[in-house]
Amino acid sequence: MLLIRLIDGLNEVVGRVVSWVAVLFAGLIIYDVVLRYVFNAPTLWAFDLTKHLFGFYFILLGGYALRHQAHVRVDLVTGALKPTPRRIVELLGYPLFFFPFAWVFVTQSYTFALRSWNQGETTYSAMQMPVYPVKIAMAVAAVLLLMQGVSEFLKLLLNKSEENRNVG
Amino acid sequence: QESWTMTTVWPASLELIEIDRKFVELANALTAGELSIELFDGGTLVPAGEVFGAVESGTVQAGADWPGYWAGRNTAFSPLSTHASLFNAVDYVNWIQQWGGADLYNEVYGQFGMVYLPYGVTNNESGFRTKKAIRNTEDLQGMRLRLSGLEQGRLLTQLGGSQVSMAGGEIYQALERGVIDGAEFSTPNVDWSGGFQQVTSHWATPGWHQSSSVFGVMINKASWDALSAETQQKLRIAADATMLWSLSFTEKRANDAYQQFKDAGIEITRMDDETLAKIQELANTTIETTACENPLSAKVYLSQVAYLNDYANWRDASAPFNLGRTPVGPSMDKLAECAK
Amino acid sequence: MSGEMIALIMAGILMVGLFMGHPLAFVLGGTAVLGAVIAGKTQILGIVINRIFGDVLDNYVLIAIPLFVLMARFLSDSGVTDRMFEALRLLLARVTGGLGIAVVVISILLAATTGIIGASITVMGVMALKPMLQYGYSKRLSTGLIAASGCLGILIPPSIMLILMSSNSGLSVGELFAGAMVPGILLGLLYGLYVAAIAFFRPDLAPAVKTEERIGRAALARMLVVEAMPPLILIFGILGTMLAGIATATEASAVGALLALLIVIFRGRFELATFRSALYETARTSAMILFIVVGATAFTGVFNITGGLRATQNLMRALDMEPWMLITVMMLIVFVLGMFLDWTGIVLLSFPIFLPVVQEMGINQLWFVVLMAVVLQTSFLTPPFGYALFYMRAIAPKDVKISDIILGVLPFIGLIVAMALTIAAFPDLVTWLPDTLYRSK
Ligand code: NA
Ligand code: NA
Repeated sequence: MLLIRLIDGLNEVVGRVVSWVAVLFAGLIIYDVVLRYVFNAPTLWAFDLTKHLFGFYFILLGGYALRHQAHVRVDLVTGALKPTPRRIVELLGYPLFFFPFAWVFVTQSYTFALRSWNQGETTYSAMQMPVYPVKIAMAVAAVLLLMQGVSEFLKLLLNKSEENRNVG
Repeated sequence: QESWTMTTVWPASLELIEIDRKFVELANALTAGELSIELFDGGTLVPAGEVFGAVESGTVQAGADWPGYWAGRNTAFSPLSTHASLFNAVDYVNWIQQWGGADLYNEVYGQFGMVYLPYGVTNNESGFRTKKAIRNTEDLQGMRLRLSGLEQGRLLTQLGGSQVSMAGGEIYQALERGVIDGAEFSTPNVDWSGGFQQVTSHWATPGWHQSSSVFGVMINKASWDALSAETQQKLRIAADATMLWSLSFTEKRANDAYQQFKDAGIEITRMDDETLAKIQELANTTIETTACENPLSAKVYLSQVAYLNDYANWRDASAPFNLGRTPVGPSMDKLAECAK
Repeated sequence: MSGEMIALIMAGILMVGLFMGHPLAFVLGGTAVLGAVIAGKTQILGIVINRIFGDVLDNYVLIAIPLFVLMARFLSDSGVTDRMFEALRLLLARVTGGLGIAVVVISILLAATTGIIGASITVMGVMALKPMLQYGYSKRLSTGLIAASGCLGILIPPSIMLILMSSNSGLSVGELFAGAMVPGILLGLLYGLYVAAIAFFRPDLAPAVKTEERIGRAALARMLVVEAMPPLILIFGILGTMLAGIATATEASAVGALLALLIVIFRGRFELATFRSALYETARTSAMILFIVVGATAFTGVFNITGGLRATQNLMRALDMEPWMLITVMMLIVFVLGMFLDWTGIVLLSFPIFLPVVQEMGINQLWFVVLMAVVLQTSFLTPPFGYALFYMRAIAPKDVKISDIILGVLPFIGLIVAMALTIAAFPDLVTWLPDTLYRSK
């Protein structure tokens, strides 16, 4: 199904690109430690920037992790079920839990980001760094997660789930 | 009968929450039958930094704060909460109640759909806790100090120190291991409960970075408007009563803690007058610079400096029985220029 | 509807979702939304976003999670840790349960470098599970041991839990760190003893090194220097940057990732493809852990605001009994809450009630808080809601069932309870070190 392939492809690309942000904030932390310890001249911006990069990093990875079924689940009961009833139970989880949460996540983080953008919110340290980019990223991440949920739901519905999911 | 959910930026353990509890206790007693406020400790509903957003969006009806936390949304919140080397606690009370300050709180918070009742003041914060004495700017050179605030950071840099930012929970260990050379945290009693006497040997007073502080409650405008004029008046009375209580309560606690630090063998030094005069001069410039980046911030500072100048005659005439000092503050003309 | 009712309903929905096999993060988040809807308070859903942003995105210390996972990935994907455990196993060939004991010792060392739950368990899981299974240790013993010793990371300082406990009590971080040190190390040693006992009585569960596998002294010495030293140098490198005041605990995790990469490069095992896949794996594992935190913070917020907080607090306040009985009941409450809530919720919920009572009774607050920290170790291990169970499940191979992990941790829960009783009987185990360090102040 084209929709499934599109969504999976999108989150795959986002995930692979965002994975590299870890290198950025690791490097930034070490850079700041060296400047502070060796040169006695810490930056005024590394702390805030590192924190923001971390925010971008993990929140945007939610959909990617779902695409790879990396989100941990307890299969104590479902593991003992036959494939079809098990698929039905797993399918039900989405309208009961995933979609209500993802919907609140999308709508609430949208107004959250919009407010920050309208206020031009910044951090209040010596470097006034804008806060809205990371809040906007949160809203974008919410949409990516919701989309991936749709894809996973369709896969279950059409019985197209990959077998290499992280369950046992 | 209305019922409000209120939260605060202070966790149950931080003594500042006592001011919020006092206000809620008085408010509930005065407004019995009309309004009941349920106060949730900091962190139980939303994290400290999100109390503003929760009140603004109406998720909770009221939130207790220290206005400076919101300076990233508008720098005008900064002078509403504290000063680098300007007001003392009595100045804030005077200015808020008789020199038009209360209106400015509502002007700034009003931009975010909130009404504000200032109801707490604490006087001077401790100052820096370090492993060596700071008596003058010479001693400050090259020191890596944990300090919060935009104006404060700019000022420290001009004085020759380095501002280090770190998570609140990491300060203690960072001091112990020497990642930083010193830190400012809060008032003496709060510092004491944080155990700073265990990892530092010196204490440099006064707390020029935060000469005094204001606390209060943000109320969602729609929730406020839903109250009768009478109930609103009762909340204002509760706020005023709490304000007076907070002044003497926190000064008593700070004084007790000072003695505790002394008994623990901490060497307490005061920065010399020459250095403080120099800091005042730099602080004035910093205030003028930051104020001029935001007309609303300039407007607040202008009103505050106008109060200082207006009050100066009588304050100085009544010396030595006067309430605090008359600082040589920032230039009114400059602030007036930027407030346009 | 009453707060008690909502609290029970939310707990019920949580259990149902958990057993439906839906991803835990979204079961928690979804239960939060359903709870608000059932309470008729959809206007409070804003706090879900406030909490996700403030508690997770804007939380500097959590950076340690991806950084430690990255470090473990570098070491494990390049085979460095497999060879380290092989060397240690051969070194301890004559010690019963040698490999298991090596895992415990390394866990204790790692525990001293990080204080973030999720980081320590995942790191140990990624590095140690494969070798343990490979050398014939049973699934239950391997997962149980790694999960339990991974949890030591938040008992042995530094520890985010102790920092939160300090900021919610009158105790300083230093006193708490010092107070938890001895019980933490003793608990680790207790785990080691348990493994040795199992290896002795049930060698089928923890096989010894076969005689023909043993190697000569010279070969062993060479293996130790080449294979076992570098990862240990890494751990001491991280510790060193912290102790020397070069970096904070969070910053030290970045140093750890860098040192791990350097080790891989110097061992000539660096490949771009492995590096890239380590980044991808780290991304998925970190998102898995952090989204559970996202779900948990959403759940806790709604639980608190809809009345669950007050209901639980009222229940606790109703306690009125003899001091020793009261302490016992308090610890039982912590234990039971630990089955359903995460530790942050438990600390915020119970401290404002327990601590004033404890103070009034003249009980040493430091001892009480450390005792609670030890009991809270069980909260990571007790089903149905235990972080360590979930993290182990996520990184273990497919043929390891969650039931294996749950059965595996049960003996260790027993050991934690035994340790708590020991501390209760000998309070000096807690108070001796802080008294020695900070007596004058
Ligand atoms: Na630790
Ligand atoms: Na548990």
